[in-house]
Amino acid sequence: MVGNARKSSSAFARAENPPVDFGLLRRILYVALLIVLLILLWEGLKAFAASNDYALHIGDATVDLTIFNNMQLPHLSDIVKAFAEPAQRNGPPLYLTLVENAWFTLQSAVGGFLIGGFFGFLLAVLFAHSRLMQGGCLPFVVASQTVPLIALAPMIVIWFSRAGNSALSIPVIAAYLTFFPVTIYTLRGLTSVPTTAMELMQSYAANQWEIFTKLRLPNALPQLFTALKISATASVVGAIIGELPSGFQNGLGVTILNFSRYYNQSPPRLWATIAAAGLVGILFFLVIVLIERLVVRWQREDSE
Amino acid sequence: MSAVISIKNLTKKFRGSDGTLIHALENINLTIEEGEFVSLIGPSGCGKSTLLRIMADLIQPTSGSITVNKKTAAQARKDREYGFVFQSSTLYDWRTVIKNVQLPLEIMKWPKEKRDERAREMLGLVELGEFEDKYPWQLSGGMQQRVSIARALAFEPNILLMDEPFGALDEMTRERMNNELLRIWTAIPHMTVVFVTHSIAEAVYLSDHVVVLSPRPGRLAEIIDVNLPRPRGPETRDHEDYFRLTSQVRHALRTGIRDEVME
Repeated sequence: MVGNARKSSSAFARAENPPVDFGLLRRILYVALLIVLLILLWEGLKAFAASNDYALHIGDATVDLTIFNNMQLPHLSDIVKAFAEPAQRNGPPLYLTLVENAWFTLQSAVGGFLIGGFFGFLLAVLFAHSRLMQGGCLPFVVASQTVPLIALAPMIVIWFSRAGNSALSIPVIAAYLTFFPVTIYTLRGLTSVPTTAMELMQSYAANQWEIFTKLRLPNALPQLFTALKISATASVVGAIIGELPSGFQNGLGVTILNFSRYYNQSPPRLWATIAAAGLVGILFFLVIVLIERLVVRWQREDSE
Repeated sequence: MSAVISIKNLTKKFRGSDGTLIHALENINLTIEEGEFVSLIGPSGCGKSTLLRIMADLIQPTSGSITVNKKTAAQARKDREYGFVFQSSTLYDWRTVIKNVQLPLEIMKWPKEKRDERAREMLGLVELGEFEDKYPWQLSGGMQQRVSIARALAFEPNILLMDEPFGALDEMTRERMNNELLRIWTAIPHMTVVFVTHSIAEAVYLSDHVVVLSPRPGRLAEIIDVNLPRPRGPETRDHEDYFRLTSQVRHALRTGIRDEVME
């Protein structure tokens, strides 16, 4: 977008970067470099611990290095191999099981993200327009996040199964983590309007709806997207936590529980599942980044 | 000629952030006629911006009366009688240049085709036609302020209220903008401009009358009539009356401050 702008007008009195976009290439390179470093660190520590027989003697003290053995921290190659091997005898390869369960979790996460995003946004709009509501309710919103979700989740499961809609319990649990950042960031975006920008609207005798749609909301969009990126990953965590007491047999949460029960038989399976959960979160995050790029198009490239 | 803005015995007091009562404006009487270019000048804190905001009904006076186009200031604002230009361009970041100019037209429910046509016409007037699809950050400060003038004039108000519009620009750009503004003002018949500034040169160069305010409380120290010939241009600044008038304004400003010290 900016590249085109440079071409179409020579009248720009701004210092400009070279037109070729090295930014993306460089970013990919950095990520690749970081992954290589992490692999080296992981395997390096394991090799170091193994060569010292998992105990380091410093004077009279002994540092226990058994957490680096193959049981506690499997080789990365073993984790990668685990994806291809069946988790049960004659069953499908693990990666297929994980994709299936990840799909289930992602659906709950997206459901929770949408529910939480909707109510979070609604609360922010309400608070932005009523000091009374903000003063009275915001402390409770903040307090809600100090209650451990793991304690609330079973209750939510019970409520929804009593109401005959247990399928909804997992998205609702995910929504509990999701709405909070949306409320806080959106509220800040809606209320941090520059005085003169507001005076301009007053000079046009604009009504509240016009002020909201043409000023407050677009002003809040960058902050709203910051919140949505946090909420996307939080909703995956929420869905996984929600699955644990749900009684459902699908989902990454259930898979994590199963593989941790049989950890001694095959540690790499649990690690592979954790990696899958991470990937789901990253995927969701990237989708939001993409949407943000499409919606928030006015920001200068260097402001990220 | 008829009075466009009429102010009688206007006083404004407000509480500062530390609770003390600030006397911003004291007994202001001022009449601005149709088609005039009037500058309000004074040291910072003299209430010149406050006075302009009272004309715009963005602030209410403590006492006294004000009419704008023979209506109360509140009614004039509701009837969109004036365009306002702020010191910062106050363009909306998320709108392209042309969409910024169309903002008031959207609020005033102009049909889409008329909005496009009028916005293009106004961008032509401020000579930014080719930048209509740029975002504000892609423009220089002077260009941004020209867009904000185009926006203020888009809905055809006959009053333009300007609050130190060129205060943030460098001297060269400011002089160019002064000429732009005079050209625009001349191009639109019967347009009244009230222009707040702290630059003596700018006030004299642009105005028919320079209203000098004294600080704390803001009082009308003197109104200086500027009879320099129009159209004005670079030669105006070499006119002997130009020097006489700038020193007259400077003197009035100094007297205002000295009065305050003596009180």
